[in-house]
Amino acid sequence: MLGISVALTFIVIIFSKQISIKNINLSVIQNNLSNIDISEPKFAISNDSKKIHITAKEGNFLNNDKILLNKKVKFKSNDFSIETDKVVFDRNKQTAESRSKSIFKSKNTTISSDGFNIYDNGKKIIFYGNSLIVLK
Amino acid sequence: MRIIFKIAIVILFSFNAIARENGETEITTEDGIEVFQDEKYYLLKKNVKISSDNFNLNAKDVKIYFDTSLYDITELNAKGDVNFNSLKFRLSSRSQKLKFEVKIEKLRVDGEKSQLITEDIEMYSDGFIEVNNLNGDFKLEGPNSILSNDSIFIKSEKIHGKFSNNEDKKEIILLNIVDERESYIKNNNTEMYAKKINFDNKTSIIELIDDVIIIRNSEKISGDYGTLDTKNNSYKIKSNNDTKVKVVIQNNE
Repeated sequence: MLGISVALTFIVIIFSKQISIKNINLSVIQNNLSNIDISEPKFAISNDSKKIHITAKEGNFLNNDKILLNKKVKFKSNDFSIETDKVVFDRNKQTAESRSKSIFKSKNTTISSDGFNIYDNGKKIIFYGNSLIVLK
Repeated sequence: MRIIFKIAIVILFSFNAIARENGETEITTEDGIEVFQDEKYYLLKKNVKISSDNFNLNAKDVKIYFDTSLYDITELNAKGDVNFNSLKFRLSSRSQKLKFEVKIEKLRVDGEKSQLITEDIEMYSDGFIEVNNLNGDFKLEGPNSILSNDSIFIKSEKIHGKFSNNEDKKEIILLNIVDERESYIKNNNTEMYAKKINFDNKTSIIELIDDVIIIRNSEKISGDYGTLDTKNNSYKIKSNNDTKVKVVIQNNE
Protein backbone atom coordinates (compact mmCIF):
# COMPACT_ATOMS: atom_id res chain seq x y z
CA MET A 1 0.00 0.00 0.00
CA LEU A 2 2.82 2.32 0.93
CA GLY A 3 4.61 1.35 -2.27
CA ILE A 4 1.56 2.19 -4.37
CA SER A 5 1.10 5.59 -2.72
CA VAL A 6 4.80 6.40 -3.24
CA ALA A 7 4.54 5.40 -6.90
CA LEU A 8 1.39 7.52 -7.37
CA THR A 9 3.11 10.48 -5.75
CA PHE A 10 6.03 10.15 -8.15
CA ILE A 11 3.69 9.90 -11.16
CA VAL A 12 1.83 13.04 -10.02
CA ILE A 13 5.13 14.89 -9.58
CA ILE A 14 6.39 13.80 -13.03
CA PHE A 15 3.11 14.86 -14.76
CA SER A 16 3.03 18.16 -12.96
CA LYS A 17 6.64 18.82 -14.10
CA GLN A 18 5.83 17.93 -17.72
CA ILE A 19 2.85 20.21 -17.78
CA SER A 20 4.88 23.03 -16.35
CA ILE A 21 7.66 22.42 -18.94
CA LYS A 22 5.06 22.63 -21.74
CA ASN A 23 3.81 25.88 -20.28
CA ILE A 24 7.34 27.24 -20.24
CA ASN A 25 7.88 26.24 -23.93
CA LEU A 26 4.61 27.82 -24.95
CA SER A 27 5.45 31.05 -23.22
CA VAL A 28 8.86 31.12 -24.93
CA ILE A 29 7.17 30.73 -28.36
CA GLN A 30 4.70 33.46 -27.55
CA ASN A 31 7.55 35.72 -26.51
CA ASN A 32 9.35 34.99 -29.83
CA LEU A 33 6.23 35.85 -31.85
CA SER A 34 5.86 39.12 -30.14
CA ASN A 35 9.51 39.96 -30.77
CA ILE A 36 9.57 42.20 -33.80
CA ASP A 37 12.91 43.59 -34.88
CA ILE A 38 11.42 46.21 -37.19
CA SER A 39 7.92 47.57 -37.09
CA GLU A 40 6.48 48.63 -40.47
CA PRO A 41 9.78 48.18 -42.33
CA LYS A 42 10.38 49.91 -45.67
CA PHE A 43 12.96 48.90 -48.25
CA ALA A 44 13.56 49.31 -51.97
CA ILE A 45 15.01 47.34 -54.85
CA SER A 46 16.47 49.56 -57.56
CA ASN A 47 17.76 49.13 -61.07
CA ASP A 48 18.59 51.59 -63.86
CA SER A 49 15.00 51.80 -65.08
CA LYS A 50 12.81 51.41 -61.97
CA LYS A 51 12.49 51.29 -58.22
CA ILE A 52 10.42 48.73 -56.33
CA HIS A 53 9.25 49.89 -52.88
CA ILE A 54 8.74 47.19 -50.25
CA THR A 55 6.57 47.62 -47.16
CA ALA A 56 5.31 45.24 -44.46
CA LYS A 57 3.77 45.26 -40.98
CA GLU A 58 6.68 43.45 -39.33
CA GLY A 59 10.27 42.50 -40.01
CA ASN A 60 12.73 40.15 -38.30
CA PHE A 61 16.45 39.89 -39.00
CA LEU A 62 17.46 36.37 -40.00
CA ASN A 63 21.11 37.41 -40.39
CA ASN A 64 23.03 40.53 -41.41
CA ASP A 65 21.49 40.65 -44.88
CA LYS A 66 18.28 38.65 -44.77
CA ILE A 67 15.10 39.99 -43.25
CA LEU A 68 11.87 38.06 -42.84
CA LEU A 69 9.01 40.39 -43.71
CA ASN A 70 5.65 39.43 -42.21
CA LYS A 71 2.04 40.46 -42.65
CA LYS A 72 0.70 42.62 -45.48
CA VAL A 73 3.95 42.57 -47.42
CA LYS A 74 3.64 44.80 -50.48
CA PHE A 75 5.95 45.44 -53.44
CA LYS A 76 5.10 48.47 -55.52
CA SER A 77 6.69 50.01 -58.60
CA ASN A 78 5.36 52.26 -61.35
CA ASP A 79 4.39 49.17 -63.34
CA PHE A 80 3.15 46.63 -60.84
CA SER A 81 2.37 45.59 -57.28
CA ILE A 82 2.70 42.25 -55.46
CA GLU A 83 0.93 41.39 -52.23
CA THR A 84 1.67 38.46 -49.93
CA ASP A 85 2.11 37.57 -46.24
CA LYS A 86 5.68 36.38 -45.87
CA VAL A 87 8.85 37.35 -47.76
CA VAL A 88 12.56 36.91 -47.18
CA PHE A 89 14.28 40.07 -48.39
CA ASP A 90 18.04 40.08 -48.99
CA ARG A 91 19.38 43.62 -48.62
CA ASN A 92 22.77 42.77 -50.05
CA LYS A 93 21.67 40.79 -53.12
CA GLN A 94 18.56 42.94 -53.62
CA THR A 95 16.38 39.87 -53.93
CA ALA A 96 13.05 38.91 -52.39
CA GLU A 97 11.59 35.42 -52.16
CA SER A 98 8.23 34.22 -50.93
CA ARG A 99 6.67 30.76 -50.68
CA SER A 100 3.24 31.96 -49.67
CA LYS A 101 0.22 32.77 -51.85
CA SER A 102 0.88 35.95 -53.81
CA ILE A 103 -1.04 38.27 -56.08
CA PHE A 104 0.72 40.30 -58.77
CA LYS A 105 -1.17 43.16 -60.38
CA SER A 106 -0.21 45.38 -63.28
CA LYS A 107 -2.19 47.14 -66.00
CA ASN A 108 -4.85 44.69 -67.26
CA THR A 109 -2.93 41.79 -65.70
CA THR A 110 -3.34 39.71 -62.55
CA ILE A 111 -1.12 36.77 -61.56
CA SER A 112 -1.98 34.48 -58.64
CA SER A 113 0.78 32.07 -57.58
CA ASP A 114 2.23 29.97 -54.75
CA GLY A 115 5.06 32.44 -54.20
CA PHE A 116 7.66 34.39 -56.15
CA ASN A 117 11.30 35.33 -56.45
CA ILE A 118 12.40 38.82 -57.48
CA TYR A 119 16.04 38.90 -58.60
CA ASP A 120 18.47 40.70 -60.93
CA ASN A 121 17.60 44.00 -59.23
CA GLY A 122 13.92 43.51 -59.88
CA LYS A 123 14.29 42.97 -63.62
CA LYS A 124 13.25 39.31 -63.37
CA ILE A 125 10.43 37.70 -61.43
CA ILE A 126 9.68 34.00 -61.06
CA PHE A 127 6.21 32.99 -59.90
CA TYR A 128 6.19 29.57 -58.25
CA GLY A 129 3.82 26.62 -58.54
CA ASN A 130 0.29 26.53 -59.83
CA SER A 131 -0.21 29.94 -61.34
CA LEU A 132 -3.13 31.75 -62.92
CA ILE A 133 -2.79 34.76 -65.21
CA VAL A 134 -5.80 36.83 -66.17
CA LEU A 135 -5.24 39.32 -69.00
CA LYS A 136 -7.93 41.88 -69.86
CA MET B 1 -37.33 21.72 -52.64
CA ARG B 2 -35.91 24.88 -51.04
CA ILE B 3 -32.66 23.11 -50.26
CA ILE B 4 -32.27 21.99 -53.88
CA PHE B 5 -33.00 25.56 -55.02
CA LYS B 6 -30.34 26.95 -52.63
CA ILE B 7 -27.77 24.38 -53.72
CA ALA B 8 -28.49 25.24 -57.38
CA ILE B 9 -27.93 28.95 -56.64
CA VAL B 10 -24.65 28.24 -54.81
CA ILE B 11 -23.40 26.05 -57.70
CA LEU B 12 -24.46 28.68 -60.26
CA PHE B 13 -22.64 31.46 -58.42
CA SER B 14 -19.50 29.40 -57.84
CA PHE B 15 -19.33 28.58 -61.58
CA ASN B 16 -19.74 32.25 -62.43
CA ALA B 17 -16.91 33.12 -60.04
CA ILE B 18 -14.55 30.71 -61.85
CA ALA B 19 -15.68 31.36 -65.42
CA ARG B 20 -13.62 33.60 -67.70
CA GLU B 21 -15.29 36.88 -68.63
CA ASN B 22 -15.68 38.11 -72.21
CA GLY B 23 -12.54 39.81 -73.48
CA GLU B 24 -10.34 38.18 -70.87
CA THR B 25 -7.50 35.76 -71.52
CA GLU B 26 -6.97 33.18 -68.79
CA ILE B 27 -3.69 31.26 -68.52
CA THR B 28 -2.93 28.46 -66.06
CA THR B 29 0.42 26.73 -65.45
CA GLU B 30 1.52 23.95 -63.10
CA ASP B 31 5.12 25.03 -62.59
CA GLY B 32 5.01 28.78 -62.51
CA ILE B 33 5.93 31.75 -64.65
CA GLU B 34 9.20 33.58 -65.26
CA VAL B 35 8.87 37.25 -66.24
CA PHE B 36 11.82 38.94 -67.99
CA GLN B 37 10.89 42.61 -67.95
CA ASP B 38 13.79 44.04 -69.98
CA GLU B 39 13.66 41.29 -72.62
CA LYS B 40 9.85 41.68 -72.68
CA TYR B 41 8.78 38.08 -72.51
CA TYR B 42 7.49 35.56 -69.98
CA LEU B 43 7.84 31.81 -69.75
CA LEU B 44 4.91 29.64 -68.76
CA LYS B 45 6.00 26.23 -67.53
CA LYS B 46 4.39 22.77 -67.49
CA ASN B 47 0.88 21.92 -68.68
CA VAL B 48 0.01 25.41 -69.90
CA LYS B 49 -3.59 26.18 -70.81
CA ILE B 50 -4.58 29.43 -72.51
CA SER B 51 -8.21 30.32 -72.99
CA SER B 52 -9.40 33.49 -74.75
CA ASP B 53 -12.22 34.77 -76.97
CA ASN B 54 -10.13 34.16 -80.10
CA PHE B 55 -8.36 30.89 -79.33
CA ASN B 56 -7.60 28.08 -76.89
CA LEU B 57 -4.12 26.57 -76.59
CA ASN B 58 -2.63 23.69 -74.59
CA ALA B 59 1.11 22.94 -74.47
CA LYS B 60 3.90 21.79 -72.16
CA ASP B 61 5.71 25.16 -72.19
CA VAL B 62 4.90 28.56 -73.68
CA LYS B 63 6.99 31.69 -74.21
CA ILE B 64 5.02 34.92 -74.68
CA TYR B 65 6.53 38.17 -75.96
CA PHE B 66 4.80 41.40 -75.02
CA ASP B 67 5.04 45.01 -76.12
CA THR B 68 4.48 47.48 -73.28
CA SER B 69 2.88 45.31 -70.60
CA LEU B 70 2.21 41.62 -70.03
CA TYR B 71 -1.29 41.77 -71.54
CA ASP B 72 -0.03 43.34 -74.76
CA ILE B 73 0.96 40.04 -76.44
CA THR B 74 2.88 40.25 -79.71
CA GLU B 75 4.12 36.69 -80.16
CA LEU B 76 3.43 33.31 -78.68
CA ASN B 77 5.78 30.30 -78.88
CA ALA B 78 4.49 26.96 -77.62
CA LYS B 79 6.45 23.70 -77.25
CA GLY B 80 5.45 20.10 -76.58
CA ASP B 81 2.16 18.46 -77.62
CA VAL B 82 0.65 21.74 -78.76
CA ASN B 83 -3.09 21.89 -79.44
CA PHE B 84 -4.46 25.12 -80.89
CA ASN B 85 -8.10 25.87 -81.68
CA SER B 86 -9.33 29.19 -83.01
CA LEU B 87 -12.94 30.13 -83.56
CA LYS B 88 -11.88 33.48 -84.99
CA PHE B 89 -9.59 31.97 -87.64
CA ARG B 90 -11.78 28.86 -87.94
CA LEU B 91 -8.84 26.48 -87.68
CA SER B 92 -7.25 23.92 -85.39
CA SER B 93 -3.73 22.50 -85.23
CA ARG B 94 -1.64 19.85 -83.53
CA SER B 95 2.15 19.98 -83.49
CA GLN B 96 5.34 19.77 -81.44
CA LYS B 97 5.95 23.53 -81.78
CA LEU B 98 3.75 26.50 -82.56
CA LYS B 99 4.55 30.13 -83.26
CA PHE B 100 1.78 32.71 -83.49
CA GLU B 101 2.57 36.30 -84.44
CA VAL B 102 -0.49 38.13 -83.17
CA LYS B 103 -0.42 41.41 -85.10
CA ILE B 104 0.25 39.93 -88.53
CA GLU B 105 -1.91 36.84 -87.75
CA LYS B 106 0.81 34.45 -88.87
CA LEU B 107 0.69 30.91 -87.54
CA ARG B 108 3.48 28.34 -87.91
CA VAL B 109 3.44 24.77 -86.63
CA ASP B 110 6.62 22.67 -86.55
CA GLY B 111 7.67 19.07 -86.04
CA GLU B 112 6.72 15.54 -86.96
CA LYS B 113 3.06 14.89 -87.66
CA SER B 114 2.16 18.58 -87.64
CA GLN B 115 -1.35 19.29 -88.84
CA LEU B 116 -3.40 22.40 -89.51
CA ILE B 117 -7.06 21.98 -90.35
CA THR B 118 -9.40 24.72 -91.52
CA GLU B 119 -13.05 24.43 -92.57
CA ASP B 120 -12.06 23.90 -96.19
CA ILE B 121 -8.45 22.70 -96.24
CA GLU B 122 -6.34 20.11 -94.42
CA MET B 123 -2.54 20.44 -94.19
CA TYR B 124 -0.04 17.93 -92.82
CA SER B 125 3.76 17.91 -92.62
CA ASP B 126 6.74 16.41 -90.77
CA GLY B 127 8.55 19.74 -91.29
CA PHE B 128 6.49 22.89 -90.86
CA ILE B 129 3.22 24.50 -91.92
CA GLU B 130 2.87 28.27 -92.03
CA VAL B 131 -0.28 30.28 -92.72
CA ASN B 132 -0.65 34.06 -92.85
CA ASN B 133 -4.27 34.82 -92.17
CA LEU B 134 -4.04 38.44 -93.32
CA ASN B 135 -2.55 38.03 -96.80
CA GLY B 136 -3.44 34.36 -97.37
CA ASP B 137 0.14 33.14 -97.94
CA PHE B 138 0.89 29.58 -96.88
CA LYS B 139 3.93 27.27 -96.84
CA LEU B 140 4.41 23.60 -96.14
CA GLU B 141 7.98 22.29 -96.09
CA GLY B 142 9.50 18.99 -95.11
CA PRO B 143 8.83 15.29 -95.56
CA ASN B 144 5.25 14.11 -95.99
CA SER B 145 3.89 17.59 -96.64
CA ILE B 146 0.29 17.17 -97.78
CA LEU B 147 -2.41 19.69 -98.65
CA SER B 148 -5.91 18.60 -99.56
CA ASN B 149 -9.45 19.88 -99.98
CA ASP B 150 -12.61 18.64 -101.71
CA SER B 151 -11.15 18.80 -105.20
CA ILE B 152 -7.36 18.53 -104.88
CA PHE B 153 -4.72 16.40 -103.12
CA ILE B 154 -1.05 17.52 -103.13
CA LYS B 155 2.02 15.75 -101.75
CA SER B 156 5.48 17.32 -102.05
CA GLU B 157 8.61 18.44 -100.15
CA LYS B 158 7.71 22.12 -100.63
CA ILE B 159 4.21 23.47 -101.14
CA HIS B 160 3.97 27.26 -101.27
CA GLY B 161 0.84 29.14 -102.20
CA LYS B 162 -1.87 31.67 -101.48
CA PHE B 163 -5.45 31.37 -100.29
CA SER B 164 -8.21 33.68 -101.47
CA ASN B 165 -9.44 36.36 -99.08
CA ASN B 166 -12.96 35.03 -99.44
CA GLU B 167 -14.33 34.92 -95.89
CA ASP B 168 -16.82 32.15 -96.63
CA LYS B 169 -14.51 29.69 -98.32
CA LYS B 170 -10.71 29.61 -98.57
CA GLU B 171 -9.74 28.68 -102.12
CA ILE B 172 -6.23 28.09 -103.46
CA ILE B 173 -5.41 30.84 -105.95
CA LEU B 174 -1.65 30.27 -106.35
CA LEU B 175 0.59 27.22 -106.00
CA ASN B 176 4.34 26.60 -106.31
CA ILE B 177 5.31 23.02 -105.57
CA VAL B 178 8.86 21.66 -105.60
CA ASP B 179 10.30 18.24 -104.78
CA GLU B 180 13.75 17.06 -105.90
CA ARG B 181 12.35 13.53 -106.21
CA GLU B 182 8.66 13.86 -107.15
CA SER B 183 5.67 16.09 -106.46
CA TYR B 184 2.19 14.62 -106.74
CA ILE B 185 -1.19 16.23 -107.42
CA LYS B 186 -4.54 14.57 -107.81
CA ASN B 187 -7.25 16.78 -109.30
CA ASN B 188 -10.65 15.21 -109.93
CA ASN B 189 -9.91 12.15 -112.11
CA THR B 190 -6.35 13.14 -113.05
CA GLU B 191 -3.12 12.23 -111.25
CA MET B 192 0.01 14.25 -111.99
CA TYR B 193 3.68 13.79 -111.13
CA ALA B 194 6.55 16.26 -111.71
CA LYS B 195 9.52 17.79 -109.94
CA LYS B 196 7.94 21.27 -110.10
CA ILE B 197 4.26 22.10 -110.30
CA ASN B 198 2.74 25.59 -110.55
CA PHE B 199 -0.87 26.73 -110.53
CA ASP B 200 -2.39 30.15 -111.09
CA ASN B 201 -6.12 30.58 -110.59
CA LYS B 202 -6.19 33.51 -113.07
CA THR B 203 -5.17 31.26 -115.96
CA SER B 204 -6.68 28.05 -114.46
CA ILE B 205 -3.55 26.23 -115.70
CA ILE B 206 -1.56 23.63 -113.76
CA GLU B 207 2.02 23.69 -115.09
CA LEU B 208 4.16 20.56 -114.71
CA ILE B 209 7.97 20.77 -115.07
CA ASP B 210 10.55 17.91 -115.27
CA ASP B 211 9.85 14.18 -115.12
CA VAL B 212 6.18 14.76 -115.87
CA ILE B 213 3.61 11.96 -115.70
CA ILE B 214 -0.13 12.44 -116.18
CA ILE B 215 -2.47 9.55 -115.44
CA ARG B 216 -6.14 9.67 -116.34
CA ASN B 217 -8.34 6.60 -116.36
CA SER B 218 -6.29 3.96 -118.17
CA GLU B 219 -4.05 6.50 -119.94
CA LYS B 220 -0.54 7.30 -118.73
CA ILE B 221 1.52 9.99 -120.50
CA SER B 222 5.04 11.00 -119.58
CA GLY B 223 7.28 13.82 -120.82
CA ASP B 224 9.34 16.81 -119.68
CA TYR B 225 6.74 19.58 -119.57
CA GLY B 226 2.97 19.51 -119.29
CA THR B 227 -0.05 21.70 -118.68
CA LEU B 228 -3.54 20.92 -117.49
CA ASP B 229 -6.37 23.37 -117.97
CA THR B 230 -8.64 22.99 -114.95
CA LYS B 231 -11.51 24.74 -116.76
CA ASN B 232 -11.99 22.12 -119.46
CA ASN B 233 -9.83 19.39 -117.87
CA SER B 234 -7.67 19.07 -121.02
CA TYR B 235 -3.93 18.56 -120.91
CA LYS B 236 -0.80 18.78 -123.10
CA ILE B 237 2.62 17.22 -122.68
CA LYS B 238 5.89 18.15 -124.43
CA SER B 239 9.33 16.58 -124.38
CA ASN B 240 12.85 17.93 -124.83
CA ASN B 241 14.56 17.36 -128.15
CA ASP B 242 16.40 14.23 -127.10
CA THR B 243 13.42 12.48 -125.57
CA LYS B 244 9.96 11.60 -126.67
CA VAL B 245 6.49 11.78 -125.16
CA LYS B 246 5.52 8.31 -124.05
CA VAL B 247 1.89 7.22 -123.96
CA VAL B 248 0.81 4.02 -122.29
CA ILE B 249 -2.81 2.98 -122.71
CA GLN B 250 -3.76 0.23 -120.34
CA ASN B 251 -6.55 -2.17 -121.00
CA ASN B 252 -8.37 -2.58 -117.73
CA GLU B 253 -10.82 -5.18 -119.02
